[in-house]
Amino acid sequence: MRLTGRKSITRRLTLLFVIASSAVLLALGFVIASSVEKHFEQLDMEVLTGKMELARHTLEKLKSKDDLDRITQLLDNALVGHHGLEVIVFVPPHDVIFATPNANFPLDLMAASAAQSPYRPLTWTQGEQTYRGIAAELPTGISDLSPLIVAVATDIAHHQAFIRSFLQTLWVFVAGAAVLTGFLGWAAARRGLAPLRAMREQTQAVTAQQLNHRLPVESAPVELAELAQSLNEMLARLEETFHRLSDFSSDIAHELRTPVSNLMTQTQVALSRVRSADDYRSILESNAEEFEHMARMISDMLLLAKAENGLVVPTRETVSLATEVHALFDYYDAVAEEKGLHLALEGDGEVTADKLMLRRALGNLLSNAVRHSTANTTVRVTISASPDAVSIGMENTGDGIAPEYLERVFDRFFRVDPSRQRASEGTGLGLAITKSIILAHGGTISVASVGAVTTFTIRLPRAAGASELQKSAPTRRSIQNP
Amino acid sequence: MAAMKILIVEDEPKTGDYLKQGLVEAGFIVDLVRDGPDGLHHGLTEAYDLAILDVMLPGIDGWAVLAGLRRAGKDTPVLFLTARDHVDDRVKGLELGADDYLVKPFAFSELLARVRTLLRRGAKATAAEFLRAADLELDLLRRRVTRAGRRIDLTAKEFALLELLLRRQGEVLPRSLIASQVWDMNFDSDTNVIEVAMRRLRVKLDDNLEPKLIRTVRGMGYVLENPDCA
Repeated sequence: MRLTGRKSITRRLTLLFVIASSAVLLALGFVIASSVEKHFEQLDMEVLTGKMELARHTLEKLKSKDDLDRITQLLDNALVGHHGLEVIVFVPPHDVIFATPNANFPLDLMAASAAQSPYRPLTWTQGEQTYRGIAAELPTGISDLSPLIVAVATDIAHHQAFIRSFLQTLWVFVAGAAVLTGFLGWAAARRGLAPLRAMREQTQAVTAQQLNHRLPVESAPVELAELAQSLNEMLARLEETFHRLSDFSSDIAHELRTPVSNLMTQTQVALSRVRSADDYRSILESNAEEFEHMARMISDMLLLAKAENGLVVPTRETVSLATEVHALFDYYDAVAEEKGLHLALEGDGEVTADKLMLRRALGNLLSNAVRHSTANTTVRVTISASPDAVSIGMENTGDGIAPEYLERVFDRFFRVDPSRQRASEGTGLGLAITKSIILAHGGTISVASVGAVTTFTIRLPRAAGASELQKSAPTRRSIQNP
Repeated sequence: MAAMKILIVEDEPKTGDYLKQGLVEAGFIVDLVRDGPDGLHHGLTEAYDLAILDVMLPGIDGWAVLAGLRRAGKDTPVLFLTARDHVDDRVKGLELGADDYLVKPFAFSELLARVRTLLRRGAKATAAEFLRAADLELDLLRRRVTRAGRRIDLTAKEFALLELLLRRQGEVLPRSLIASQVWDMNFDSDTNVIEVAMRRLRVKLDDNLEPKLIRTVRGMGYVLENPDCA
């Protein structure tokens, strides 16, 4: 996987790992550091309060002013042997009675602390040294002497040095850990995303020639299975469209082959010798018929192509189906009568639809029914309305359609009997056009055939699909023949 | 009716030549030019009863020629020819003031019928009571048809069909035009509806009688004419 910087999942995961692990380690380090510091403070306090107690005892033992002279000795004895421990005893404000060599404490601070919160630890810096200490007012055994202020402090530089070095180590450790988790995270992410890379490689195998290729859904991790599924569905849709498109092209080529070949042969044979004017006329007439047929086929194919690409947008108006069917009966009346067919209509219903398109759809269907009916039978159209849909059934008695062909009667150029191809009538697109028009209206069409009786059933929604409502007038001409 | 003058602007050589030949032979005076600027120039400087414009033209396209004509106040009827059948094209043409629109490939008989319809548009409708050809007479008010004085019974649609043929005597009417005018069906049927209807009308009209008035023009359509006058 390339780390192109732009929204790389690996990079993001790595970053998240680093941030998370650094945060946890830092928090841990600070907790440890602060508890160590607290521990040191406690230790110091034990020593300091102990010394303070000693000082108290010592001072209490003083009974007279003379004892004051011995104070240095007494305190020295009491406090001896504690390295780094400094003591100062003074009479407020600045009358120092006793002080160890380095005890140049800020006396005002000591006095204030002793007055307000005795025994509370104080920290201050003095020169290069940092001290932690406590101060208290301690009474002496001398009755006319006001209490003395005693401050005991210890140099905590070595504690601070320890904490500093601890924090330093912590920083180094966190930095190292960040780098390490970064690397591990990156490796984990890469490994975790391996199925994604595998998927990418799979998709690279998909080309126009190999649209049937599918991504393995079962073997994909749960998180990717849905994606793989969606991709597969997309591929299926693409494949279908692609096939339809290429079928379409080959259908056109195939269907044009016969008429073009006829025209070519006929014309070349005609030109191969001198003929009478009547012969020429007859050849030209035959050619004209052939051309007319081809022109129709082209315009029909164009309509279908548009319909399949969703470019046929019906205009909408209220259409009475009975009126339409009657008009069509009028149109096919002569043909039906010649065949001895009876055209019958039952029921009525209104739909919102494109009148011209609907007429064409029903016309193709009726034409089909009339053509495939046996003499002296009835073509029966039944319209029934429900609150939200209208269904139109068209039933005829004739050849019947074998079950294996039922699915295919709406296919372009499908003819049950291939030998009837290019019989005088029809481009073989009638039912395909009917279907595409019905679909463009949001309806459905189906066919059933029982014995000799074939029934087409159209279901149209009463109200128009909202999305198809807006376009108007000029579209309606698009289904007319030029 | 004096000969009508038609301007054709078409760059495809064969199409242009055949359109010109066909229209001349149909009795029109025809000027053919091959590109947009020439077309506009002719349209502006001469008086035509109709212009037939191809959409795709060298120089300036058919739309621009039409726009130029309309801007100059010329209301010559315009019939567009195009190889593309896009809804947008139709809308554009109609918005610019085109009068009709034919998509290639079209039948010449269809073009001729449309041309005649456009040319007739300006003329006053004849409020005739009777339409006649040879000894055939159609009474529009009483809706009766007689041939050689003998009453012929026609269905309503047959009457409408005969009326159309009589009104456009001598014109070859393509099937699509007949279907649209008589039955209001604007699509080609897979079934030979018009042939059958025409055959039945002919049986009632022409059987055992001379002259035969209705003639099939193979590959083009039908025409009603009195062969004695043709």
